[in-house]
Amino acid sequence: MSNFKRASVTGPPAQRNVLASLRATTIVDSKPILPAELIASILDYLPIPALLRFARVSKRFQEMVYDDSRWVQRLKSMGCWNDAEARQRFEDSMKRKLEGQKALNGSTSNGTSGGPTANRGSTLFDASMEEEKQRRSLEKMGTRKRGGTNDAGFDSPTLMSNGSAVSQSTAAHKDPTFALKVISVARSIRGFARQEYGKIYGALSPYYYDLARSKSHTDPILFRTCRDPEQQAAMLSQLKIFAKSDFAQGWRSREEKLDSMIGIFENAVLREFEQGLEAKDIDGRMRKYAHVLVTLNGGSAGMDTFIQNHPLMTEKERLGNPLECLEGGTLNLQPSHDFFSQLAGSLNVQAGIIDRVFPPSVDVLKPFIDRVAEDVITEYITALFDEAHDGNIEDYLKAVSGVFEQCLRFAISLVPSRASSPQFTEQVTTLVVHCFEPHVDLYLQEELSFFKTKSETEVGNWEKRLSEEQATSESFFLSNVSRQAAKQDFLSSFRKVVMLPVTAISAPFASAKPAPGTRSSAMGSALEPNSRSSTPNPMERSNSPKQQEAPTSELAAKAAIMSSRLEGIKSLFSIEIALNLIHAAKASLERAALFVRLGGQSGEEAREQCETIFIILLQILGTRHIKSGFDKAVMHLSAYNPREITEHGNGQQGVEPLVTFLELVNVGDLIQQMVDVFYVQELVQPKLSDRDDFLSPAIKEKKKFEQILDERVAAGLNKGIDVLMNEVEYICATLQKPTDFNPVLAAGEGLSDIGPTETAKRVVHLVESHTSMLVGSTEKNMLDVFNQEVGVRLFTALCKNLKRQRVSVDGAIVLISDTNHYSQFIRSLRNKSLTQYFDALREMTQIYLIDPSHAREIGKIIADPDRYHGIFRAEEVYEFAERRADWFGVKKEVERAMYGMGCMVM
Amino acid sequence: MASASAPAVPQITLTSSDGIDISVDRSVAQRSVLIKNLLEDLPTESTNEPIPIPNVNEAVLKKVMEWCEHHKNDPTTTNDDDSDSRKKSTDIEEWDQRYMSVDQEMLFEIILAANYLDIKALLDVGCKTVANMIKGKSPEEIRKTFNIQNDFTPEEEDQIRRENEWAEDR
Repeated sequence: MSNFKRASVTGPPAQRNVLASLRATTIVDSKPILPAELIASILDYLPIPALLRFARVSKRFQEMVYDDSRWVQRLKSMGCWNDAEARQRFEDSMKRKLEGQKALNGSTSNGTSGGPTANRGSTLFDASMEEEKQRRSLEKMGTRKRGGTNDAGFDSPTLMSNGSAVSQSTAAHKDPTFALKVISVARSIRGFARQEYGKIYGALSPYYYDLARSKSHTDPILFRTCRDPEQQAAMLSQLKIFAKSDFAQGWRSREEKLDSMIGIFENAVLREFEQGLEAKDIDGRMRKYAHVLVTLNGGSAGMDTFIQNHPLMTEKERLGNPLECLEGGTLNLQPSHDFFSQLAGSLNVQAGIIDRVFPPSVDVLKPFIDRVAEDVITEYITALFDEAHDGNIEDYLKAVSGVFEQCLRFAISLVPSRASSPQFTEQVTTLVVHCFEPHVDLYLQEELSFFKTKSETEVGNWEKRLSEEQATSESFFLSNVSRQAAKQDFLSSFRKVVMLPVTAISAPFASAKPAPGTRSSAMGSALEPNSRSSTPNPMERSNSPKQQEAPTSELAAKAAIMSSRLEGIKSLFSIEIALNLIHAAKASLERAALFVRLGGQSGEEAREQCETIFIILLQILGTRHIKSGFDKAVMHLSAYNPREITEHGNGQQGVEPLVTFLELVNVGDLIQQMVDVFYVQELVQPKLSDRDDFLSPAIKEKKKFEQILDERVAAGLNKGIDVLMNEVEYICATLQKPTDFNPVLAAGEGLSDIGPTETAKRVVHLVESHTSMLVGSTEKNMLDVFNQEVGVRLFTALCKNLKRQRVSVDGAIVLISDTNHYSQFIRSLRNKSLTQYFDALREMTQIYLIDPSHAREIGKIIADPDRYHGIFRAEEVYEFAERRADWFGVKKEVERAMYGMGCMVM
Repeated sequence: MASASAPAVPQITLTSSDGIDISVDRSVAQRSVLIKNLLEDLPTESTNEPIPIPNVNEAVLKKVMEWCEHHKNDPTTTNDDDSDSRKKSTDIEEWDQRYMSVDQEMLFEIILAANYLDIKALLDVGCKTVANMIKGKSPEEIRKTFNIQNDFTPEEEDQIRRENEWAEDR
């Protein structure tokens, strides 16, 4: 053997070194000899019998042929070599060997008979132990492997006794029942791969080569030895695996032959199965041949036939016509609901049938449902949606979301079969949801544009109507006197309502929900049940699957009250419009939000679309509606001129545009709160938007909206203060009589009534009624600033007014009571610096009280800066003192007291 | 012909073990991975020099080049799927079958040359041919074919035969 190798290695170098003639003789004389590695590669091409004959040539060749890796490779190609198992076995045997060694040592030292133990320890492979091991592995395989062979119900112990012998028992491969499962019982033992392969080969190759040689499908012995179709199937599937280890030339034609044979067999079985299907012979033929098909090649053909020819597929029209939903021009989702419940019902029946027909190792229900989703559901919804889309867009939107919801419930209602995976429901949901994917994009787009156009037309219509009514409403707006009372009423109830959601928001939602809801709805109906009919009831969404029992969303409850209350401010912006918009947005959002559950890209898109809907709501509500309303109100305010208004005398107490404006502020605030509640309820709670994500476009837009509102309010208030003060000045100028503070009294006669003058009362009432309107509706800081500004401006106006009057000592009492009246009002505002102003004013008015005979005291008081908290300088007080009726009489004395004796000298 | 195609098809010269120069197309010679690598490593100007092929004599080299000429347009098989392609041997093409119908001595020489020159496809064809040759042969015939001494005792040989009885054709 060794010379064989040497010859090839030494040959070539010799050729190079030795002379040409010598070289020529070498070639002629020696037969060319192939080196070992080339022979090894030749062996790869040999069929098994030739290979093993080759082993008998010489020891060297035997070694090459017997090389374990050659056989392991074949076992691996059939997928029945397990490296881990082989390693385990190897380690076990090593351990046994070691133990045997130890036992041997122990026994020899003890001097007892150690012969048998030693023998066993030194043998690497022990038949009895292998037998035991095989039993174990067989049991293991029996539990985990191939239901087909398992189901066959063969007596495994007898089989094992056949297969356990390592040295080939000829009985093993003659027994067809053993051959049926020979591959599954193959073991992975290092050093014994050849024997294992031999068993498989011995059992299968006769059938295999016979089949390859056979001319027709009736020929092969296979079909004669195994009569039972199930056994034939098992055998064929084994041969299919076995063919993978056939490396020798001609394997392709053999495999083709095998494949075509399997095909013929499969077709025959399928025909039987189909006949069973037609005869509805569920537990008989269908079951039998389904099992055969599964054993043969996983049963996919059977599944296909089952699904393909299923009455559900062929008679899907019976389940319902999608167009029924649109009959009569209106959307009615009842037929689709029936459709889905029918479908679910029949599918659940099918799950039972599948359980009976197919073995639990194959999941037929899932592909079945897959197919149903694809064929039946997709077709149904596509027809429905296309039709709806051609018709009314709103119906389309409702149909999409409604049917989607129905579909989801349909998915949940399905019952898994025995073979279904634990995630059955999720899988089905994904499948069903998948049907909707092609529609989602269009739907979301339509939803958005629908909402946009709807809100825009709403606002547009309203604006148009407004401009038509402009002229009439203007006069109505300015002349209606009795509305004051209604407004007050509105404001009070409004405030109550406004408080409600605030508490509801700050409290945990779940617990707070029922209480404010019921309260507000009760209040709503109690307050204004009659005008409710005029507001569209947005809760009545025919297709909405959500519970419609009243106020799950307190937004709705609140909305009902508000819309009924807000008749008054039609001319500027309509809260009703705002409500409608919000409700439209809510409807759209709820529809779109369903699709967030789609997950993945579509889900993400749906979520973004929800945010976009919210943003559009804010934009239309904020920019188009509220902003223009506020702008108009501010315009009214700035155009206001009290002198042009003639009706002052007839008891009207407010400055009309300002009142309206303040009301607007309230309404604006209300809308903002509604938006906030809406945001929390519709976007944050269903997790469509993250409240803390300051980058989210929805949050940004909401901030912007609030900002617009605040800006408008601030601008309006600024103007409003001007207007208010104009009014105050106007009142002062028109009502304050010269005699108020300088009464012409008969000597000795006292003032008949001591108290604030009519002017003071009117002014205080005017200012008070306006400032109080803002309480509770505007932000506290803004309110403070507003009050401060009003107070300071009022103060200036009063000072100005005072400087126009003459004040006598008698009139001083009236003046002081006026001043007290003012400062009392100011105190009610609880603004410290303002209070100081009016305290100073009060102190100052005392200069009028001093009798002319004490003119010096007047001077002292004027010069005392502490009295006025630094608000008046001495010069200013002096100016006021000049308004004394008797100024010229006391002037000298006063000045003397103020500037000391210097003047005297002068 | 030479004047027209010579510039287009560069020629190289191979020197066989018995000193004969053989001129072949460079692309044909490059079926041999050995020659291909060699040419790639050599500087361009020295490719004009004859390349010595010391292990292969003229007759065999010519025979091998004949195969290369015929298979020059085959897609070069990458060596990565080596293990896989060996697993499933394809049948021998008709041309190759005719090519390989030579005496056994020549067949072995071709195999050795293909092995040395690293022409995988040719080596495969050679091995397959040998495999076909010995497929139906008895051990004794195989021994003769490969020129091997029987180092088994009759008992040993019989033992092996019994061991592998399962594989005998029935």
